[in-house]
Amino acid sequence: MRKYLDFIGNIGLFALRAVRRALVPPFEIQMILRQIEVAGWKSLPLVLSAGFALGLVLALHTRTTLVQFGAEAEMPAVQSLAFFNEIGPLLAGLLMAGRVGAGIGAELANMRATEQIDAIEVLSMDAFKLLVIPRIIACSIVLPILTVFMDAVGLAGGYLAERVTSDLSVQLYISRAFHNVSWAAFVPPTFKTAIFGAVIGLVSCYLGYTTDEGAEGVGRAATNSVVISSLTIILIDVVLVKAIFFLFPETAI
Amino acid sequence: MNPGAPPAIAFREVTRSFGGRAVLNNVSFEVAPGEAFCLLGRSGMGKSVTLKLTIGLIQPDAGTICVENDNIVGMDEDGLSKVRSRMGFLFQSAALFDSFSLHDNLAVPLKRLRNKTSDAEIEAIVQKNLDDVGLGKDGRKMPAELSGGMRKRAGLARALMLDPSILLIDEPVSGLDRVTASEIDDLLLRVRKRDNTTMVIVTHDTREAHRVADRVGVLDHGNLIAIGGMDELATNQSALVRALVSEAE
Repeated sequence: MRKYLDFIGNIGLFALRAVRRALVPPFEIQMILRQIEVAGWKSLPLVLSAGFALGLVLALHTRTTLVQFGAEAEMPAVQSLAFFNEIGPLLAGLLMAGRVGAGIGAELANMRATEQIDAIEVLSMDAFKLLVIPRIIACSIVLPILTVFMDAVGLAGGYLAERVTSDLSVQLYISRAFHNVSWAAFVPPTFKTAIFGAVIGLVSCYLGYTTDEGAEGVGRAATNSVVISSLTIILIDVVLVKAIFFLFPETAI
Repeated sequence: MNPGAPPAIAFREVTRSFGGRAVLNNVSFEVAPGEAFCLLGRSGMGKSVTLKLTIGLIQPDAGTICVENDNIVGMDEDGLSKVRSRMGFLFQSAALFDSFSLHDNLAVPLKRLRNKTSDAEIEAIVQKNLDDVGLGKDGRKMPAELSGGMRKRAGLARALMLDPSILLIDEPVSGLDRVTASEIDDLLLRVRKRDNTTMVIVTHDTREAHRVADRVGVLDHGNLIAIGGMDELATNQSALVRALVSEAE
């Protein structure tokens, strides 16, 4: 138990240090852009393919159920609400935890094990500012953008499934999909992923940056980055969903 | 060396433990400006810890460490950064940045710390430092493409980029064949002769200590058990010290 409390305390201190250092210049814009490319651009094929496939599968399942109640016309609306509210944000977050979180954890742990982080420090550069802060910022910028792509291809997958079984036009599908969607149903769930991104960046950076187990620690940091950040974003999602319902009551209906 | 000058590095009663095990125990020594001081000892005796303490990568549990009269114990990051800008560090593994070419490994400290240096000047300095260590044609190579000896030379070139007055060197010849090790030692001697750089060299290679060092300190289980020239150590009362020194012969 004490081990877990230590971990939570240490990661809290690490987060405070990140916030403090992030507010002091230089702001490492180039490093942030580079990390946005690594975390965002290179994750895009994974997000697009996973989102499209899930959209297709979800629509096939949903349609079967809706047909039983004579409500198949509601399929586009169900698809859009499912993706905008939960599937898009959470799936994008989990995919990012798997791909980017593992990468960050392994990369920083390897740099620690091979003394590259010490080398940055002895060259009078701030390793924490150079390695940790750009990754956390990049993850929190990139994840909402990836979520929008995930939502879009999820709807596209849904349309493909619908098209196979009916003659629904694209215009009508889009019209029905967005008919019941207010901004409040789209914007808060999408932007909650900025918090997911920050959590993935923070947890992965903490595990990689602070490892002291040499080569063995590299694999452990990668695995733990995925496991802990995935679990954390699911737990945080529970709190954020309740917070969104509280702040935007119309989304709870 | 200037015998009257204040020491470049001074350890005073420094103690450091890890997990309850004392790695350094009340260690005191001084290194004069321009001196080459070698820390000799078997593996795991606290030699590398001494180097990391000297550059503030780790802090001691007790004692003071002065670098050119600045006490670095308890110093904040900005202060440490200023002290470190006067020092170079060659890591045992060379610690080159994996994702950068050899050229960029050398250019990074200049680009980040000397904003007023133009790109053309940086290019010239990088090329000169690469030429000095015999890697003038290898600037575009990635660290993974370099041999062990080339990595050490590249690490040395990077450590010298900011013209340090103090150079800390961790096991410069470990894992190298005798010929390559001798080339690295020649490089160190040349740098010292050219720049009058103060050097602290951690090694378990007695031959290297004999060749490069003015004075040698012997660390054993965290205690500095002997300090002096190689000739003095040859008649030391400790059998371990005599055994280590005799390996060079």
